[in-house]
Parts: sequence; C-alpha cells; structure tokens
Amino acid sequence: MSSLDLWAGSLLSGLLLGAMLSLTALGLSITLGVMRLVNLAHGEMLIAGAYLSFYLLQYAGVAPLPGLPLVALVLALLAWPVYRWLVTPLQGKGPEASMMTMFGVSIILQSLFLLVFSADSRSVDSPLAVVPFSLGAISIPKIYLVGAAISVALVLAMHMLVAHTSFGRALRAASIDPVAAAVQGVDVRRVHALTFGLGAACAGVAGVLIGSAFSFTPSAGATYLLVSFAVVLLGGVGNIYGTLWAGLLIGVLQSVGGLLLGDGYRDLVGLLVFLIALSLKPASIVAEGASR
Amino acid sequence: MLKTFKVNIAALALGLLTTLPAWSADEIVIGASLPMSGPLSGFGFYTKWGYEAAVADLNKAGGLEIDGRKLPVRLIVRDDKTDPNVTASNTETLIARDGAVAMLGSCTPPLSNAGALVAERRKVPLVTACNPLMSFKAVRKWRYAWDIFFHEEDLAAASFHMMADYKLATNKKIAILAENAPDGQMIGGTVWPAMAKADGYEVVMNDSFPIDAQQFGTMINRAKLGGADLVLVMAIPPQAIAIRKQMASAGYTPKLLVMEKGAEPEMFQRALDKLAEGVLVGGYWDPSLPYPGASELAKRFEADTKQTQSQHIADSYTAAHVLLDAIAAANSTDREKINAAIAKTDKTYVIGPVKFDADHTSRIPMMVMQWQKGKAVVVWPKDRATGQLQFPLPQQAD
Repeated sequence: MSSLDLWAGSLLSGLLLGAMLSLTALGLSITLGVMRLVNLAHGEMLIAGAYLSFYLLQYAGVAPLPGLPLVALVLALLAWPVYRWLVTPLQGKGPEASMMTMFGVSIILQSLFLLVFSADSRSVDSPLAVVPFSLGAISIPKIYLVGAAISVALVLAMHMLVAHTSFGRALRAASIDPVAAAVQGVDVRRVHALTFGLGAACAGVAGVLIGSAFSFTPSAGATYLLVSFAVVLLGGVGNIYGTLWAGLLIGVLQSVGGLLLGDGYRDLVGLLVFLIALSLKPASIVAEGASR
Repeated sequence: MLKTFKVNIAALALGLLTTLPAWSADEIVIGASLPMSGPLSGFGFYTKWGYEAAVADLNKAGGLEIDGRKLPVRLIVRDDKTDPNVTASNTETLIARDGAVAMLGSCTPPLSNAGALVAERRKVPLVTACNPLMSFKAVRKWRYAWDIFFHEEDLAAASFHMMADYKLATNKKIAILAENAPDGQMIGGTVWPAMAKADGYEVVMNDSFPIDAQQFGTMINRAKLGGADLVLVMAIPPQAIAIRKQMASAGYTPKLLVMEKGAEPEMFQRALDKLAEGVLVGGYWDPSLPYPGASELAKRFEADTKQTQSQHIADSYTAAHVLLDAIAAANSTDREKINAAIAKTDKTYVIGPVKFDADHTSRIPMMVMQWQKGKAVVVWPKDRATGQLQFPLPQQAD
C-alpha cells in the first residue's frame, strides 16, 4: 500500500460515506422543505432505526439489510402519532413552536432509549461491516459500498416520487404554498403526515447503515443531526439532488480533513462547511422550501 | 385573594422543602456523581454497583458507629451524563444541598478530576478510583481528594513487559491511536512512545482523536501502510468498538492489538462478538486474585445483575470501603477528621493493599487481560495468568 493508495482509499471511502450522509439528511431536508419543520428529533429517529435493527437481529434473526423495509415501515408508523398529536396542533403558530416541540421529543426519545436499552454502546452486527472490499491495494469497508448504493437508490426513488407522481405534485404544491394547494383540493395535512413519515423512514434506514458501520449510544443522534444540517444547508432545503451532492461533498471534504489533519478533525471540516454555508446563505433554512 | 395568597405560601414552602438539604441527623450522607448515561455509562454502571454494594454491606451490619450511635449511611448518586461540567455541578449539589459529608469519585480523569476540584474547594474529602494516577496528580497538589487506581506508566509498560516475557516475534513496528483526553494524551502522546523507544520499537504512526469521533479509516490505513505489527489504542468503548470494526473492514489484522480502556467493559465483547477475540487490555483485578472477598464479589455482581463481572466493581467497592472505614475511624462526620483518617489508610481490601503516598495516590499493580471466547482472562504476569496468551490476533474470516 502506497501513500497514493492511502489517498485514493480515503477519498473513495469519503465519497461512499458521503452518499450515506445524504440519506441521513434526506428526511430532514424534505420535512424542512415541505413542512417548514426543523425536526430536531431527526437524530433520535436515526438511532431508533439502529436500535430496531439491533433487536430485530438479536431476537428475530432478521439481518440488517433484509430488515430495512421493516425498519422503514415501523419508523414511519411510529412517526404518525408524533405528527398527529404534537406537530399538527402547532401548525400556523410559527416555526419556533414546532422546533421546540421536536427538541422536547428528542430529549424524551434519548431518555426512553436510555431507560429501555441502557446506556451501553451497541453496534448492529452485520458481516458487511467487518469485511473489506479490495480494489487493488485499496481496501474499503463493504458496508460503505452497499450503504452508498442503498442511499443513492433511495435518494433517486425519492426524487422520482416527488417529480413523477400525483403525491409528488401535491407535495410540491404544499411546499410552495400550502393555502393555495388546499384551495386546489390538496389534502395538505395528509401530505404533511406522509412527508413526516417518509422523513422518519429515511432516518430509520440511515440509522441501520450507520449503526452497522459504526457504533451508537442513546445520545449519539446529536452528532448525525449536526452533520445532516450541514448537508441540508449546503444542498438547499428540500432539494433532493442537492442533498445527494452535498452529502458526497461533505464526505469527501471530511476525508480530506482526515488525511491532512487527522481523523479527529473530520467533523471539524464538516462543521466549518456548515458555518460557511450558513454565513453565505443565512436565510436559506427558512426561505427555500420547494422539494425538487 | 386570600386563597391565592395561601396557595402561594404553600408553593413557597414546598419549594423551600425541595431545596433544603436531604441530610438528617439520623443518617450519614455520602454522594457520588457518576456517568450513568453518555459514552462512559459502561463504567458508571459498574462503579455505581461497587459503591452501592459497599454501603449496603455496611448498613446490613448496622451502619457506622459515631459517638456510640449506629447510623445508617445513605449514598446519593447523580448522573453526570459523561459531562465534566455536570460532574462539577452535581458535586456542588451533593455537598451543598444533599449534605454529603464526603464524596466518592466519578470515572475517568475528565469527570473524576472535575468533581475532585469542587470537593477540594469545598474542603470535602473525596475518594475516587477509575482515575489513572498521573492524570490525577497532574491537576494539583491535593489536600482532600484521594485516588486508588493504576499508574499510566504501569499500564503502558504492561504490554511491553508481556511482549518481552513471552518473546513475541513481531517486526517491532507500532501504531498508536489515542483519544485526546488527559489520560489518552499522557499514555498515547508520552508514555507509549517513550516505552517503545526504550524497548527498541519503531512508532510508525501516532495520531489522536476527540472522544466523540466515529470514523478512523485514515488512521487505520496509515497504520496498515506503515506495516505495524502492533497497534496500541487508547479509547473509550464506543470508539474502541468502531476502531475494531473498521480495522476488520480495512482488511488489517496486526499481530497484537491492545485497546486500553475501551476493551475493558463487557459491552465491548457484546458489541463485537468474535471480533473481540484476542484483543488485549490492561487489567488490574480479577476474581482469582488472593485478596479478601475477591471471588465472592464477582459472584455477587453476576448474581445481582446477570452480567459478567468487571474489574471496576473491585476498585469502586474498595474506594467506598476506604471512605466508610475512614468515617468510622474518625468517629465523627467532621470532614477534616475524615480526611485525616483517609490519609492513615493501610489495609488490604478486595482490590489489594491500599496505602496512600504523599500525592494522595495508592497504586494498583497492572496485569494484561485478553478476550477469549467471550471471557476476559489474565494472560500476564505469568504467575497470575488464568489462561494462555493467544498470539497472533486471529485473522477475520471473510
């Protein structure tokens, strides 16, 4: 293995990990774009997916990858009461009320994880996470490759859903002007409920991939929420393809940071990008919104 | 109007009651702020059990005799969420509000030292374990804080002594990955490189990372690029688990893998299963050691919790006993008298002999342990070994 291989391997890993980061951010992006909801519990939804996969494997023998649809479905179903009883009553009361509510949900979920699952560090036992994929002298974790493929496929599927289906048309209409969409017969509340569920499902799937590749604890969601915000802001709120490119970019930049400054400074690079994006487009988090 | 006034008075009274000290003259309160959540919760769980078991034993025997009166001891534990700021505020609360006459320490230097500094300022004796001695001593010249644990140099040297004793054949190239916490900086940044140089090893990579890092691919590839046969890691459990997985997924199996701190709790083995096999970690206690109550303590923990014992139950159990013995010897709840009694400790406990030096530290000798078939066995020193060293680290099957 040469220094060139080290660089090539790190950049490729960064690219693949970036694709997974785009999936972690996708749910946050669509809920923000369509519902104007800053879902501060997004990280905990991701961790809930990781726990669900961990226990599905432990008690039902369902391997992480075949279990992905089930995790997505369960997360979407669990998200519904949160939307119905906590988010819906706050619609029309400004972004702060729902944001603070989701902050409360985040704290409650962390405490519940702690209570139910204990504070132990866990990792979803996936053979892909411990087996290398070799490309000449370069070795990358197979889970990165598979995770990236799943993430890109889901991002593309989300784009197809939004761009080419009647639900997508309703979703776009609701994101641009909910009042006008409602006048045109769009059931905005239903669209929002489905969007929230989709966001939770994406977070759950991302949680399985992240939980397989790394380790997680009840409080680990905050780290992924922060990186997801950076991806969303860089890619444009509600911009599905933008989320993918931003994820890839942050993944590569993190790898460059790791190579130049050491692995400990990967997140620093991501957060610097976040701050620069925020200073360049301070209003984007609330001003943008059309899902595309 | 009168009704509102009465409600306000009642609310005020209730508020006052909840802010008054929990202490009463019929009991002795001691406090502990522990990481019951967050990345260090694995340690907090064992430490809490050790403290509570020692207090339960004492209360079962009738409590502490002070001035001819037997008083029960109440241990109040607060969760510091693995945050030194919370440890400091918890310690303040335990002393000021809960009326703790003395404190037991948290776990790892950032937390333990944060609590000890508050206790020191309040002139409240604090006995801690789970805080390597160099990191403890580096903070200040202590007057009220006492530490029973291993010395970083002993921990760092144990693997080197083991390699020399067993004459392990390696290419003598070492990679070091250490967290940038005080003990990580001390061991990874200073002690390991010095030991390596002294024993003729070449450090091909030495890198550090913050304690919330999860991606270590570049470091691991650098170690692989350097051809290191020996990898020394200093990290807490979430990072140790991630590093081990990422080493396997990078196709890198060094001959010897030492993961100090992170590989110690059972959760490491549970999270990694077969990947934990062969991983080495410095240890300082095992139920097989010839100290009073050692094997009984382990059995009791396993019966209580249905989990495998950890060495942290022994140091925490000992720290609590040292403090309780000192209160008994002082025959008083006066903090100065308790502190003076701690200084005179000279007794063999479940962890081994405890006697404090001028720096307020009592040194526990080190061993090397290895995960073998789901159990941590002692593999060095030879005269204390409970199993044979597995060398080299098993290759991971594809």
